[in-house]
Amino acid sequence: MRLPLWPRSLAARTAAVLLIGLAVVQATGLTIHALDRIELQRLAQARDVAARVMSVYRNVVNVDAAQRAAVLAEMHRLPGMQVDLSQDPPISDLPDTPRPEQRLVRVNMNVIPMPGPLRPHEVHMFGGPYWGRMIVGLHLPEGDWLNVTVRVDPPRPWHSPTFLWAFVLMTAAAALLTLWAVRRMTAPVATLAKAAEALGRDVNAPPLPEDGPSEVATAAAAFNTMAARIRRFVQDRTEMLTAIGHDLRTPITRLKLRAEFMEDDEQRRKMLIDLEELEAMVSATLAFGRDAKSTEPVSPLDLPELLRTILDEATDAWPEVTEKVAYEGPSHLTVRARPLSLKRALANLVANAVNYGGSARMRLTLPANGTLVIEVEDDGPGIAPQELDRVFEPFHRGEPSRNRETGGVGLGLPIARNIFRAHGGDVTLANRPTGGLRATVTLPA
Amino acid sequence: MPHILVVDDDREIRDLLARFLERHRLRVTAVRDGREARRAWANGHYHLVVLDLMLPGESGLDLARWMRGQSNVPIVMLTAMGEETDRIIGLELGADDYVPKPFNPRELLARIRAVLRRAGDAPEQRTDPAARTLVFSGWTLEPARRRLLNPEGAEVALTGGEYDLLLALVERANRVLTRDMLLDLLRGRQAGPFDRAIDVAVSRLRRKLEDDGRHAQLIKTVRGGGYVLAATVDRR
Repeated sequence: MRLPLWPRSLAARTAAVLLIGLAVVQATGLTIHALDRIELQRLAQARDVAARVMSVYRNVVNVDAAQRAAVLAEMHRLPGMQVDLSQDPPISDLPDTPRPEQRLVRVNMNVIPMPGPLRPHEVHMFGGPYWGRMIVGLHLPEGDWLNVTVRVDPPRPWHSPTFLWAFVLMTAAAALLTLWAVRRMTAPVATLAKAAEALGRDVNAPPLPEDGPSEVATAAAAFNTMAARIRRFVQDRTEMLTAIGHDLRTPITRLKLRAEFMEDDEQRRKMLIDLEELEAMVSATLAFGRDAKSTEPVSPLDLPELLRTILDEATDAWPEVTEKVAYEGPSHLTVRARPLSLKRALANLVANAVNYGGSARMRLTLPANGTLVIEVEDDGPGIAPQELDRVFEPFHRGEPSRNRETGGVGLGLPIARNIFRAHGGDVTLANRPTGGLRATVTLPA
Repeated sequence: MPHILVVDDDREIRDLLARFLERHRLRVTAVRDGREARRAWANGHYHLVVLDLMLPGESGLDLARWMRGQSNVPIVMLTAMGEETDRIIGLELGADDYVPKPFNPRELLARIRAVLRRAGDAPEQRTDPAARTLVFSGWTLEPARRRLLNPEGAEVALTGGEYDLLLALVERANRVLTRDMLLDLLRGRQAGPFDRAIDVAVSRLRRKLEDDGRHAQLIKTVRGGGYVLAATVDRR
């Protein structure tokens, strides 16, 4: 089940769970506190009402009936109280006081010491804290009724505004602390993800630091072991390829020499072309092996001049595309790079453009974001969208029909990508809307 | 007839290469390793040595160093394909050129001829490949690494043919190089008509050296067919 507002990240989810928990705990605590206060106020109010009513009653019951009016007149000045002497029990539009309240007031009235005969014969109660006042009718022994109206405040669970502020501050502090702790605890997961991503780009990425909490350290150690195994595997494969490539050089050299002794010029020419192709494959394999441990130093070079030289070499090799090769961009720009590697990578892209697209246009641009962009465009059929990324896999060879005439071992693009990534850049392919393929290289400026 | 000493441990390559070079009017003595090379060295005089870097026993580098101690016979190294370090070490040790294996026999022949022609020059005209740099008009050519640096110190890419052409012009600064001499340099490197290739290479070099083609100041065209580099070359 997916909740629409449920956050996606682990940190956000953990924080959400903890914050919801915190909110529930705080709300419950607040409720208990409020109920407790209301109960306390109810008790205090009942005692207060009982004491006040009984003190009036005692004053009245202790004097002669004739003097009672005078006593009462005096009592009118008491704050928050109204006292009437009447023949009848009190009549009020207020409902009867709820029974628990009544019992509380009566209990408190009974604990006030007074000789039995003087005690009220009957007591009626109306209203209560909820209505803001309470009317207590007391039946005097002589038969008259003393009706006392007392102001009672409704219960206030929040006794002070500072309490609420303090509570809000405390909750906010707890929430912030939770967020901080969650971020800290989930940071290693992000680190691990980043390391896995880096490993995907470059098997020689530096290992993860194996410190922090024990679970994190264990995960980092396991990750490093896995990375080492992958590295070993890639290395073994590359070394095997390199060994085969080295061993092939002697027979290819022999064959090239032998071809020179062939009588049939046409056959010799064709054989030399085959051998060039074979050599190119071996050379690509060796280059792929070498890039895994690129030792070439970084040095300054003039990039536009390099691009134009690559295009010049392409027109030397394929004179038929001379008119379809072009460079566009600044004439000089110094960048720091590994000259031979970078040349090999870019030459691979140009060779692909010429072989599959029949043309190669290079454009060098410098967007303002600290990277430079080299685009290589051709006018060929492009490639199927699902192939756009797969062609970067080593030994992946696109559609078989494309390779039969051009050969290749499927290493040109992987080599190029390895080299660009080792330079801190990348290369991607896209079909152009107007037809043809575009390779986009990004490099740090 | 120039006499070439070929040192390679693969018998087939050795024999085929000897036959190939002999067919192109060179005299060849082919040996398999350092020991045989020293024996052959004692018994003959050679105009050039073709030396495989990977030899059983004594390495090609040690042998090259020893030969350099004996004379300044030109050396063409056969190196492992694309191994830049081998190439640089070989050139710094004093090889005059290198050809990566598997080599194209015709290209090797062209290189041998070019090196022989250069060796024919007066000694002071020859650049010791171990010399690090040739500086002209602010530009720096590094033979040991086969690269050109612009006045700001950034590498300017050159094709193999352009490099050979530029090196020839710089080594013989202020002397006219005929088209025939330059053709030798490019032969074996390029498809297509060589004549055109030289003009193309020169125009590209001028562009790279920021030398205006119409009023070229650095690489001047000589009436009657040829080019000259008009600059003082400082050897460091």
